[in-house]
Amino acid sequence: CRASSDGKPEKFQPPPKPVIIDKQKQRAERRFLSPEFIPPRGRTDPLKYYMERKDMIQRRKVFNIPEFYVGHVLAVTTADPYANNKSNRFVGICIQRGGKGLGATFVLRNVIEGQGVEICYELYSPRIQAIEVLKLEKRLDDNLMYLRDALPEYSTFDMNMKPVPHLDDEEVRVNKLQVRMKPKPWSKRWERPKYNIKGIKFELPESKMKEAQKWSQPWLEFDMLREYDTSKIEEQIWKELNEELKK
Amino acid sequence: MRLSVAAAISHGRVYRKLGFGPRSRLDLLRNLVTALVRHERIETLWARADEMRDYAERLIDYAKRGDTDERAMRMANFWLTEKDLIHKLFKVLAPRYQPHPGSYTRMLQIPNRDRLDRAKMAVIELKGNPLPPLIRPRRDSEKTLLNQLLKGYREDLQRAAAT
Repeated sequence: CRASSDGKPEKFQPPPKPVIIDKQKQRAERRFLSPEFIPPRGRTDPLKYYMERKDMIQRRKVFNIPEFYVGHVLAVTTADPYANNKSNRFVGICIQRGGKGLGATFVLRNVIEGQGVEICYELYSPRIQAIEVLKLEKRLDDNLMYLRDALPEYSTFDMNMKPVPHLDDEEVRVNKLQVRMKPKPWSKRWERPKYNIKGIKFELPESKMKEAQKWSQPWLEFDMLREYDTSKIEEQIWKELNEELKK
Repeated sequence: MRLSVAAAISHGRVYRKLGFGPRSRLDLLRNLVTALVRHERIETLWARADEMRDYAERLIDYAKRGDTDERAMRMANFWLTEKDLIHKLFKVLAPRYQPHPGSYTRMLQIPNRDRLDRAKMAVIELKGNPLPPLIRPRRDSEKTLLNQLLKGYREDLQRAAAT
């Protein structure tokens, strides 16, 4: 019993209420629309994309395709008639996501027993039985094809890797890793500004870097017709997706 | 030396080949856009006017964002070679087209050029410009059958209203 300053027993002060941060609202702010939903610029009938979207949503209701970006480490199990358990598991880093609509693909790369292996999977193929994201990590570029010319240590991932824990409502962190390359010649001239790669640590002499800048096209960023503003289309597709998936 | 087949086929290509190279094409269009913003009505080759029209309209869309916008200012700086026109773009043209959602230019074909090449020419102007109008809408004369009938009908109505 606390002895008060004026001798009377003090009024009971309840302990402070715990503050509950409503994570639901914060999670709703983070929206990710998979890039294969956004239709490309062109003269095709939007009906084609609408029909493809319906099929994609149908597939997503049955099978969960997680949110992933280029640079994530994924494990994919596909159905294989010639394998032991009729299924085949492959772990790799996603180096590119291509295609729109039902033909959307992603390429996983890994180095197995010294041999680099890249497998291109179709997201909506019925042969895929499970996709798990093992490591959530965005990289500085959208296209990690330069890993082919990088030292093999950057592409090796253990086949029995344990999934790295990641909280659902945090932002996906960007790994600002600068990759070291094998000596030239490379499959593509990655130092040229056309590829706009930020994730390589170029150890080339200054003269080579200056020579590569000769191929830069500074007028391209001012060419207004090349811009494709997808914000309205994305809003529409996001609403459509959410409505369909709630059913 | 194997040349790619994709370079030879032009299915779906939207940009015309003007000048010598993509840099030269943009420089040509830039000069035309500057001239359009300065004089508000210019007469050039039809192909150049057609290419330039889209760029001019997008430039005005950027200008509508306001001159505090960093990107809008950089675009205007690139596209207008005469720097006093940047002020005109943001202070005169942007407020003039603020109520309109799009299509700020009018393009009309002109008789072919007088030189040996007889090239297809066009005049392109910004709408709402202070110059006299390009097309004078001509009303039909009073003596046509339809106008006479309408005149008679109007007079009948007036007579019925008077009585």
